[in-house]
Amino acid sequence: MTIKDAVRPFARPLVIVGGVLAIIAALLPWATFTLNEGPYPDKATLQFFDAPFAVSGFRLHTLILGVAVLIVAFAPIPVRNRIQRALGWGLLAVSVVNTLFILFGGGGLGAVTAIDGAFAFGGVVGIIAAVAIILAANSGVIEPIPHWNNKVPTLVAYAALVVSFVALLLLVAMMLNAGGQGGVGNPYAGPIFLSLLGFLAGVLGALHGIGLTGWISRLSDDHKWFSVIVLLLCALALPFTEAGTDYWMTTAANIGVYAATAIGLNIVVGLAGLLDLGYVAFLGIGAFVAANFSGAAAAKMGFELPFVVAAIIAAIVAGIFGAIVGSPTLRVRGDYLAIVTLAFGEIFKKSAQNDIGGFTGGANAIPGVPPINWFGQSFDKPLTIGSLELPSGVLYYVLIIVLVALVMVVFANLKNSRIGRAWIAIREDEDAARAMGIKTGQAKILAFLIGATLAGLAGAVFAHKTSTVAYDSFQFIESVTLLAAVILGGMGSIPGAVLGAALLLVLPEKLREFSDYRLILFGLALVLIMRFRPQGLVPDKHRRAELANEGAEGVPIDELNVPDDTPGGAKAEVAR
Amino acid sequence: MATLLQQLINGLVLGGLIALIALGYTMVYGIIQLINFAHGEVFMVGGFASLATYSYVLPDGLKSDWWFALPLMAIGGALVAVILAVIMERFAYRPLRNAPRLAPLITALGVSVILKEAVRLWYPGATAPVPFPRVFVNKTFTFEVFDGSITIGSTAILMIVVSIVGAIILQTYITRSRMGRAMRATAQDPDTARLMGVNPNRTIVLTFVIGAALAGIAGVLYGIQITNVDTEVGFLYGIFAFTAAVLGGVGSIKGAVIGGFAIGLVKTLSGQYLPGGTQYDLVWIFVILIAVLVFRPQGLFGEPERVRA
Repeated sequence: MTIKDAVRPFARPLVIVGGVLAIIAALLPWATFTLNEGPYPDKATLQFFDAPFAVSGFRLHTLILGVAVLIVAFAPIPVRNRIQRALGWGLLAVSVVNTLFILFGGGGLGAVTAIDGAFAFGGVVGIIAAVAIILAANSGVIEPIPHWNNKVPTLVAYAALVVSFVALLLLVAMMLNAGGQGGVGNPYAGPIFLSLLGFLAGVLGALHGIGLTGWISRLSDDHKWFSVIVLLLCALALPFTEAGTDYWMTTAANIGVYAATAIGLNIVVGLAGLLDLGYVAFLGIGAFVAANFSGAAAAKMGFELPFVVAAIIAAIVAGIFGAIVGSPTLRVRGDYLAIVTLAFGEIFKKSAQNDIGGFTGGANAIPGVPPINWFGQSFDKPLTIGSLELPSGVLYYVLIIVLVALVMVVFANLKNSRIGRAWIAIREDEDAARAMGIKTGQAKILAFLIGATLAGLAGAVFAHKTSTVAYDSFQFIESVTLLAAVILGGMGSIPGAVLGAALLLVLPEKLREFSDYRLILFGLALVLIMRFRPQGLVPDKHRRAELANEGAEGVPIDELNVPDDTPGGAKAEVAR
Repeated sequence: MATLLQQLINGLVLGGLIALIALGYTMVYGIIQLINFAHGEVFMVGGFASLATYSYVLPDGLKSDWWFALPLMAIGGALVAVILAVIMERFAYRPLRNAPRLAPLITALGVSVILKEAVRLWYPGATAPVPFPRVFVNKTFTFEVFDGSITIGSTAILMIVVSIVGAIILQTYITRSRMGRAMRATAQDPDTARLMGVNPNRTIVLTFVIGAALAGIAGVLYGIQITNVDTEVGFLYGIFAFTAAVLGGVGSIKGAVIGGFAIGLVKTLSGQYLPGGTQYDLVWIFVILIAVLVFRPQGLFGEPERVRA
């Protein structure tokens, strides 16, 4: 409070100083010598004096953020503080990531201090600029997000949606491609990616601040089918962008499998409020069933079924197991139920490990599951259309996209159906739901059944894609990962589950040097999200309203009526 | 016959260990209805902490004197476990006390992953099982019975004795002492307890402390019995202990101990006599867990289930 009061009289000059400093930081060198593993990208070292204004990479981002802050400071925009705050945090992320990397990954303090009288103050200046901007923006009133009218001509709406989804596609491709695929090939992939992530978060925060993202999301609500089709086309266009490599197609297909499974889990956890800690077992059941019908040498079934038939059988079998696992819900509630599902998951793992009935191959797994083969085109080979050669994972990618789209449609329809409302009612208060005439037992078992079916379907694709189905792909920690994806994205939200799965799989690929810390960071993420943002990154509307004290339009309740600068005075209590 | 007797003894030894951990589960659940998923990891950390006490704190000259080394290791393990539990309670669970039911459970899951990974990453050599010194007197007693012989190690006897004595002390403390009464009051109704002058936060912290101390001691006993510690055991024994607590009736000290011995017996006997052998002994424990939760959620000695969301 005191800092706020002290800063308030100088807020405006401070923001301008911050913006100017950011631009200066972009034009300063960030390291005094070439780092051990080759030049840090984008001429961060003193060599950049050869061409100081040809900035690119993270320094370009710093420049853009600085210029944006200055523009906002002088332009007549009503939500100045909110935008500047977002830009400031983005700038801070970029500066801190790059400075820390140069310090710890590059060559110690010597990397930014004097060598032969040369200084590299870029990082320090960037951090100072960011802190100045954030302090100044926070000292004033954080304005409510303006509400843009979504009653616009259809054509305008379509154009806006197409532009924003194409932009999203390009962003995704850019992020995947940032710094290459990490590892030995590019030792700087991690910081480059994180820095880009920080920059994009800042920009998106600013766009959210002026109400653009809210407007787009309402538009896409109004024109649901159009946006679904455009989104699907954009997803299918990813192989044609710079991210269209073998590696990223394979990774994207993996993400797709997990995303489809996470959406299935989202039905159980997000909609019906039943915590499932053994969910990955259904993915495993689907995978083992598909593997057994695939004609692999180790398969129990001596014959091969077409993939579609095998996938349907896998889904049905998984669904049956889902209903079995769900049946204790009739008598067990809450966290006891979570333990029951965990026990089922462990029973599955133990049985698979011991090759129960000869179906799972035990420790030998089921190797050599053949790739899907349709019309003479094997799915693991590159696809050639005319003169255009597409990378080898692309067919799996397309298949997965179709699967995810299918699962999303199922989820969206269920959510708005009678049974979906019943699930939400059960989640909110089971006794009240029963009193309203909902057959809670049926509804809960159905949630497990449908969730497991979707996971089984994903498992069938998984089996063919990875070609080896082993019990240790389906351990407790995988269930935790899926749960983390659902919670990170936001319980009950479809884009949330996809985003969560994508983040949890892309981040480890990008941050290879931290791969040891992957699980510890998952754990930390679970704890921190539950503490500070229980509604997740892309919250579901109802969820948001109940967990974050927000009104229906996404405006926090304590910002709906801000007469003076004492926000939070009349916070509604979360009555639970 | 000798095999059966031997397996019964093995089961009781394992059961004593499980009971010690189960006490922590049952006390914490009894007072704030939280399944402290991380409790198994606290036990694991206790084992590693006592090993660290042995390796880094204990003077070389005293390492062979068990009467000095063992209590010191137990104190080291319990102390670290207690500190951990207090931090956990303060920063992870307390802020969520009024949150929706699933939030603390998910947090506990996260804490459990963090603890396990932290030990695996930062304890020297913990990526594989770490050998644990045989501190206690290394003596086995062999008895001739009908058609063979059975053996009991001195550590095995220690394990059973410690778990039973620990449970009796705990039961006495909870039923007779002032703080014990405060605990029971808070468990029944925290708001009314506060009106009666009980500090619920302090009482809850104390509950965590007692549970963690017992888990830390269990960690030492596990180490000297099995002669290694592994980051994997936290999850496994956590589940065993939870099953024991549920079987005995969550909230009941007596139930946790009897449940612990029962689970230990189930594990050894099913491994010996049921189809599938030791490969499926875990499965039987989980089957029992599910059956108890479905058909008798209040367990053997618990009070009938209160309405819970």
